[in-house]
Amino acid sequence: MSAEPNAYAGHAPRMREATLLDKIIAHGGVMSIALFFIVCCLFFSLTTGAFLTAPNLLNIVRQSAPLLIVAAAMTFVITTGGIDLSVGSVLALTATLSAAALQAGIPWPVTILLMLALGAVVGIIQGYFIAYERIPAFIVTLAGLSIIRGVALLITGGYSIPIEPTSPFVAIGRAWVFGIPAPALIAIIVLAVAYLAFNETPFGRYVTGVGANNEATRRAGVDTRRVVLWVYVLSGMAAASAGIILAARLGSGSSNAGQGFELDVIAAVVLGGTSLFGGRGSLVGTILGALTVAVLANGLILSHLSPFFTPIVTGFIILVAIWLNFRLFKGGARRR
Amino acid sequence: MTDTSVSRVRMAGISKRYGALKSLDNASLDLKPGEVLGLVGDNGAGKSTISKVLSGAVIPDSGTIEIDGKAVSFASPADARAARIEMVYQDLALCDTIDVAGNLFLGREPKRRIAGVPFLDKTLMHERARDMLSNLGIVIPDTRMKVENLSGGQRQSIAIGRAASFNPSVLIMDEPTAALAVAEVEAVLELIRTVSRRGVSVILITHRLQDLFLVCDRIQVMYEGRNVAERRIAETNIEEVVNLIVGRKFAARSAGHATERSVSA
Repeated sequence: MSAEPNAYAGHAPRMREATLLDKIIAHGGVMSIALFFIVCCLFFSLTTGAFLTAPNLLNIVRQSAPLLIVAAAMTFVITTGGIDLSVGSVLALTATLSAAALQAGIPWPVTILLMLALGAVVGIIQGYFIAYERIPAFIVTLAGLSIIRGVALLITGGYSIPIEPTSPFVAIGRAWVFGIPAPALIAIIVLAVAYLAFNETPFGRYVTGVGANNEATRRAGVDTRRVVLWVYVLSGMAAASAGIILAARLGSGSSNAGQGFELDVIAAVVLGGTSLFGGRGSLVGTILGALTVAVLANGLILSHLSPFFTPIVTGFIILVAIWLNFRLFKGGARRR
Repeated sequence: MTDTSVSRVRMAGISKRYGALKSLDNASLDLKPGEVLGLVGDNGAGKSTISKVLSGAVIPDSGTIEIDGKAVSFASPADARAARIEMVYQDLALCDTIDVAGNLFLGREPKRRIAGVPFLDKTLMHERARDMLSNLGIVIPDTRMKVENLSGGQRQSIAIGRAASFNPSVLIMDEPTAALAVAEVEAVLELIRTVSRRGVSVILITHRLQDLFLVCDRIQVMYEGRNVAERRIAETNIEEVVNLIVGRKFAARSAGHATERSVSA
């Protein structure tokens, strides 16, 4: 009786190809932020004449490059179920130290390498405590946020350190290559690499696995602790790159740079549909999330509204986008 | 089938004590190639512990384990895995947000190198996943579906399929049919039959006694860490198994105690 092939017939109807609706629901996070992004762009295009012009759009990408770069790395961190609150402080430390290093006569390529190495070391230390000592990421990186910002303040005494405008270093923040601002070009390269790493490599697969079911991934023979360590190294290095780009663009390194930067980054990632509980991440969503935050800031200024509206509107959009996303996911779960 | 003269697994004199609690007391287990053994007993009877000893997760205080006639000792689950003993974990096996093929190949993804960088070979992975599932008669139309969108039975089938794909000689399943719909239980049991027909020995731990009679060759009953009975499936029935599990004599005696207490009180 049990060996008959119609043993499967009972649940044949529920085994079907994924429909278009399934796919939309599966990408609910990306869909809702894409909607918000388009609405924001349309709104500012219609209400302000300056928004939809090539120089303004390039300016948006240029200014949001640090946010895009760090948000890409943060997508990996949050997908493992972690968080990195120290990125704003790392950005400030590398911005000040790169200015100080250039002032001390260290050649600019060496300075860049040193700063990236510094970001990696910060990531290794934080990652060690999170992955191997099992201290919650929130606590480790909260301590990191405090310590690293403190070091930056201590080194500079609170003053900003100027960079010679003639130094080739500033080109990283100011040059134009093939009609694209250099920071935007760096951001595009970083995002492309991050997209491939996240979706097409075993490492990206394990990042998702760790966030979805750490124990299953470990039992599958993956060194999950090393995966976790690596994502913090990535976010440390991304924050260091952002610090370099910011110092180069502004022509100075300030220990007060990037105050609250970590929150913008997390907002961008969460807006993009990456789940804070881990296991579910989207780099396309993160890019849209970061650009939405950037477009809002830019558009509100062009509309001659107070720039202080930016955090208010951003906050509302986070809430509504996540709410939509949540409802869509719940709908998907209930149907099965 | 395969040569049945040598046992695939022979565990003898296995004891394990946790403080004052004797979880296993001189327990034994014998398993022939391609045999499906039902391991039953009440909660705390030691059936999970003995299967964990075999899968290397628990190290016994005493006793011997022989695999295909050779004495072995497992210090970790990796040792047991090297001896081709696979355990299907109930909820610990799958990553919800990864697709079917990704779960089947988690930790051993087919790769192709482009400029020295390893990339996932997704085409090959989905191809192999489809073959793997159809060979086992598992019906999942789309290997790109995320596991969270599958039913409990489909998820269990994928977990078993994943374990079976490691070419095990022994497959241990702890409650594979718990919380499944009736039709899905059928599919999972059919999968167990398919796997055992290929010469894989299966240890099935379950509370669903009716399942035992559908797939098992033999039943071993445990009670308070000891083997109390062993029956060929053709020579027993569900009432007898129930009585063996609860231990009628013990039940009668404890009822007697209760009467004495109520009398003295």
